[in-house]
Amino acid sequence: MKTFEIKDLNLWYGDFHALKDIDMDIRNNKVSAFIGPSGCGKSTFLRVLNRMNDLIDGTKITGQVLFNGQEIYAPESDVVTLRTKVGMVFQKPNPFPMSVYDNVAYGLRVQGIKNKAVLNDTVEDSLKKAALWEEVKDRLSDNALQLSGGQQQRLCIARAIALSPEVILMDEPTSALDPIATGKIEELMESLKKDYTIAIVTLSMQQAARISDYTAFFLLGDLIEMGPTREVFHKPNDKRTEDYITGRFG
Amino acid sequence: MDSKHHLISEAYQRRKKGWDKFFKGLFWLAGFISAIFIILIIVFIVRKGIGPFLPSYPGGAYPIGKFLTGFQWRQDSAIYGVAFIVINTIISALGALLISFPISVLTALFITKIAPRSLSRIMTTIVELLAAIPSVVYGVFAAGVIVRWVDSLAAMAGFSTYGGNSLLAVSILLAIMVFPTMTSLAIVAINAVPRELVEGSLALGATTTQTNFRVVLTSAKSGIFAGLILGLGRAFGEATAVSMVAGNSMIGPTFNPFNITRTLTSTMLAGLKETQGLDYDIRFSVGIILMAVILVTNLGIHFVKDRIGRSMS
Ligand SMILES: Nc1ncnc2c1ncn2[C@@H]1O[C@H](COP(=O)(O)OP(=O)(O)OP(=O)(O)O)[C@@H](O)[C@H]1O
Ligand SMILES: [Mg+2]
Repeated sequence: MKTFEIKDLNLWYGDFHALKDIDMDIRNNKVSAFIGPSGCGKSTFLRVLNRMNDLIDGTKITGQVLFNGQEIYAPESDVVTLRTKVGMVFQKPNPFPMSVYDNVAYGLRVQGIKNKAVLNDTVEDSLKKAALWEEVKDRLSDNALQLSGGQQQRLCIARAIALSPEVILMDEPTSALDPIATGKIEELMESLKKDYTIAIVTLSMQQAARISDYTAFFLLGDLIEMGPTREVFHKPNDKRTEDYITGRFG
Repeated sequence: MDSKHHLISEAYQRRKKGWDKFFKGLFWLAGFISAIFIILIIVFIVRKGIGPFLPSYPGGAYPIGKFLTGFQWRQDSAIYGVAFIVINTIISALGALLISFPISVLTALFITKIAPRSLSRIMTTIVELLAAIPSVVYGVFAAGVIVRWVDSLAAMAGFSTYGGNSLLAVSILLAIMVFPTMTSLAIVAINAVPRELVEGSLALGATTTQTNFRVVLTSAKSGIFAGLILGLGRAFGEATAVSMVAGNSMIGPTFNPFNITRTLTSTMLAGLKETQGLDYDIRFSVGIILMAVILVTNLGIHFVKDRIGRSMS
């Protein structure tokens, strides 16, 4: 099953052609990793999937982006609904300056859900899934900014999970974290895969190799190749992929 | 060549440290001078202001109890009670904030988040210009225009006014005067809210409006409150323009918005040039009260802010 089908996608920031003729399928309940050198368009591509680029003036998009068969850039498509189904975790942990509880409950509350029992259950459940519950269950009313960086990032994951999205997009979610926190988040992705489709941008080859089922390699706005992670890493189709993976440029 | 240490000259290091000492000294001096000025001003006002209540005061001490608890201010019969004036001052300033605070915050949100860039630049400039207009100009506007609005409003409500001079006129005037300060600070605070927080909220399926109210304003809280405190300070401290429309009632407090009122500042200013003796000196006592009121309300606002901060976290 394909969660996303992308065809002939092009994106411009003003005159700058940031994504060129991208064709890609993203499969459900798998982890897809996007790799490539800095500035090649990984984040841009990820942000296409929940229409985050809409916020940037002067972006232009052409082509098709089907989410469960529906074009998300169609005029009648509702971006708010899309984002409840396609959650996002950012590179830098960005908890809101509110309590841990309110952070996790935020997504539900902005959908008008006020039922205390539902909120309580969801907050607990999401924090458990994000492997954070044990650490914060006694400080749910503390300001989220008091958590450590790694805890904040898991809180942001919990916040995204709380809405029970179908897809979680992660943009270098561990780049600001130490190896222990990174390990926790990688384990987490492994366990989340059962229920969610995950797309992750990472600068770490090892991380991509460890956690992903599919890997896509971007270079200067082009998608060079995408395939099962083992194949991409062991017998890439393209010389440029091989060079990048073996560290000959980047 | 694996070290650049031989390039670093000792003399330069010494000079560098010398300059560092010099500038540190300069900052200390600047801080010291401004502290001295503030202390001098406070000492002067307190000494002048306490004078009328001391037995040594020429013509006999004015009873301090009557001053603090009195509800009449009559120059003609030398009755000076400041209690109702304190209440009037607080009411008129709070009235001003009640009008101005929501408008300022919404304007700031509009300018920063909603208006197209060109419009927002124009509006920012206007707000900055408004802040630079001298208070006497606002006073003339109030005495010429606002009083007429108030008068017609009063007529509709079945009240009569003293030519529009009233509590309401004072509050509207002050609302206009504190608007630029509060708006400017709110703009700065809102612009300082990290873009990541806004994106985080939108990525959770919040609308722009939800994001503005739940995340942007919450995050900008400190700056917005700083604007509130500065605005309140201006509302309490504004004398010239307020004197032009307050009407300077002799008794009070004034609760009816269409009645004349008397604030601490208008009391200090009205007829200052033509008077002497007790009537002159006691204005410094009013000054002490004004400083105390400002201090207490600032502490109060900080307390409220902390409470809000806790309840939101
Ligand atoms: N808002 C923007 N306006 C103009 N150009 C942009 C904008 N955002 C990104 N770009 C450009 O688009 C290209 C792709 O950027 P993107 O952030 O997608 O790269 P990336 O692959 O995520 O890089 P990194 O690994 O460093 O995060 C870059 O050349 C970047 O300069
Ligand atoms: Mg990026």
